[in-house]
Amino acid sequence: MKPSFPEPPSTLPEAFERAAAHFPERGIAVFDSRGRASERRTYPEVLASVRRAAGRWAALGVRPGDRVLVCLPTSWPWFESWLGAMFQGVLPVAVAPGAAFGAAEAQIRKVEGLVERLDASRTVVTPGFRRDAERAGARRTTEVAITFEELSGLAPEGSTDRRPEPAEIAFLQLTSGSTGQPRAVAIPHRAAIHNAIASAQAIGAPHGAPAHEWAESMVSWLPLNHDMGLVGAVFQSLCAGLDLVLLPPGVFLARPRKWLENLGQHGVTYAPAPNFGYQLCVERLAAEAREGLDLSSWRAAMTGAEMVRPETVAAFCEAFGPHGFRPETFRPCYGLAEGTLAVTFDLEGQGVRTRPLPAGAEDAGTGLSEVVCVGSPVADTEVRVTRPDGRALAEGEIGEVEAKGPGIFAGYYNDPAATAETLADGWLSTGDLGFFHRGELYISGRLKDLLIVRGTNLMPHEIEWLAESVTGGGGALRTGAFSVARGAAGEEPVVVVEVTERDPEKLGEIGHEIRSHIGRALSLPVADLVFVRRGKIPKTTSGKVQRRALREQYLNGEIERLDVSPET
Amino acid sequence: MDIKQKALEIVAKIAGKGVAELEPKHELIADLGIDSPKALQLLLDLEDELGIEISDDEAAAMDTVGDILGFLGSSA
Repeated sequence: MKPSFPEPPSTLPEAFERAAAHFPERGIAVFDSRGRASERRTYPEVLASVRRAAGRWAALGVRPGDRVLVCLPTSWPWFESWLGAMFQGVLPVAVAPGAAFGAAEAQIRKVEGLVERLDASRTVVTPGFRRDAERAGARRTTEVAITFEELSGLAPEGSTDRRPEPAEIAFLQLTSGSTGQPRAVAIPHRAAIHNAIASAQAIGAPHGAPAHEWAESMVSWLPLNHDMGLVGAVFQSLCAGLDLVLLPPGVFLARPRKWLENLGQHGVTYAPAPNFGYQLCVERLAAEAREGLDLSSWRAAMTGAEMVRPETVAAFCEAFGPHGFRPETFRPCYGLAEGTLAVTFDLEGQGVRTRPLPAGAEDAGTGLSEVVCVGSPVADTEVRVTRPDGRALAEGEIGEVEAKGPGIFAGYYNDPAATAETLADGWLSTGDLGFFHRGELYISGRLKDLLIVRGTNLMPHEIEWLAESVTGGGGALRTGAFSVARGAAGEEPVVVVEVTERDPEKLGEIGHEIRSHIGRALSLPVADLVFVRRGKIPKTTSGKVQRRALREQYLNGEIERLDVSPET
Repeated sequence: MDIKQKALEIVAKIAGKGVAELEPKHELIADLGIDSPKALQLLLDLEDELGIEISDDEAAAMDTVGDILGFLGSSA
């Protein structure tokens, strides 16, 4: 089946109209939170429900440019709330739902921080969350909270076919953002559309035609608050007129077979996931749990959002090869929220290709000696590798990756200083390190201090701040957080804390409290917590923690650990 | 088998520990290293193997092994 691809849309509402007009039989199926049943709506039905929701937002009195938080799990209420706001010109912000266990309090603090920081007019929450937020005294959240049930009970008002300009901001994408202090990436309509279409073209390159001409569906479990889930799955399906099958992330994490089963049931298909998703399939599904899977119609398995690990790729091919998975199905890609999503894509379709890490290059926490080719820039996009002084580097030399093109973001919302640090003359400084070989990009490490744990970005200062809130540090007592690679599972967090305390038992108690605090706030077990004497964490002359130097010391075993009892 | 004993076995299996090592005060994330993929597996395993339902809000309020046992006690 080869549906004709319409003239590309220029805004997201237009993309929905085109999908409804040109692919009326196709649509989106959303599974419930346990993955038991799904509700499918065709694109005309999606468009109608989103227009009604847009009218309800208008009835609530929100205005174009206002910020609205959507704190709901993957569900139709999420789509109606988020897309309805976007159709109304309101800037929707998808907030990651709290973790499964013990996250209630931390989630309230996070949402309260976001409401304040983004000055949100409304935040869509579940009834249970609102009750808890009221009880916890989260004043700003309580003021602006509305449940989906309340929103959908309103009578739509006004015109719902607002026509945004392509340059208008369509939505805000949070980067990291576990403690309510993330940066909000402003994405214009044209960037979202460009990225979705450019990715479909890139994915189609080895097939000789854009994805929409040979694929029928996409199956995704990625969170809708993540750029890969929102742009890579939803907008791309929309712009290419594909059937989208959406599993809530928790369903995949608990039952990874569900994803693979669905990949065998929806015709010629493709799917994106970070490396850890493929790793999870290998680890969780033993030979008998793989029985009956048919992955022969899976034509592109995008892998990105964190370092692609060659050993994961090999293990996945070995485990699922007998079930019809072909190594060339793997398609590495590279991107970041500030680039809307995709910056480069493997266009060859020859499987995952690697190069040795150039001599003298540090691996920046990845633990990899072989690095993966992430391909060539997507359409109309330039990528270069530069030295700190801005000079472009030749092939084979490692430097910071910079990108320029129509998919690059408009800036951080309400944060001109951060924008100026990241964006200059249209060039985005990605903070990632890489090199070119024969015109293709290889990501070799990271310049920016960032932890990427299972595809999720964490800012080190968020973790340090949580540790310091226990120790009372932050002034003369410093904390440093970074990640190290622990085998195929990828990066795991290490926290080094300066203390004046020496009693091993007291340190044991403090250590437990820090782990508990970080665990609750970020749903993150700390792989290693190290106490050191005051002044032992390397710092710059201005007193800033040098996390990379600290990490180096840690890996070389040069850190003098204080005794802790019991050992943690 | 007692539903609480069965729950402890499920927690122990996912945490990679023995049932005897678990204490009610153990926090699922900080003490047992149950990260988000494991947490979702735990939630669905508890539901499927014990034949119960735990709402997202109920789970979000559970921090420790004792919280899970307490929930089973109150809902049984």
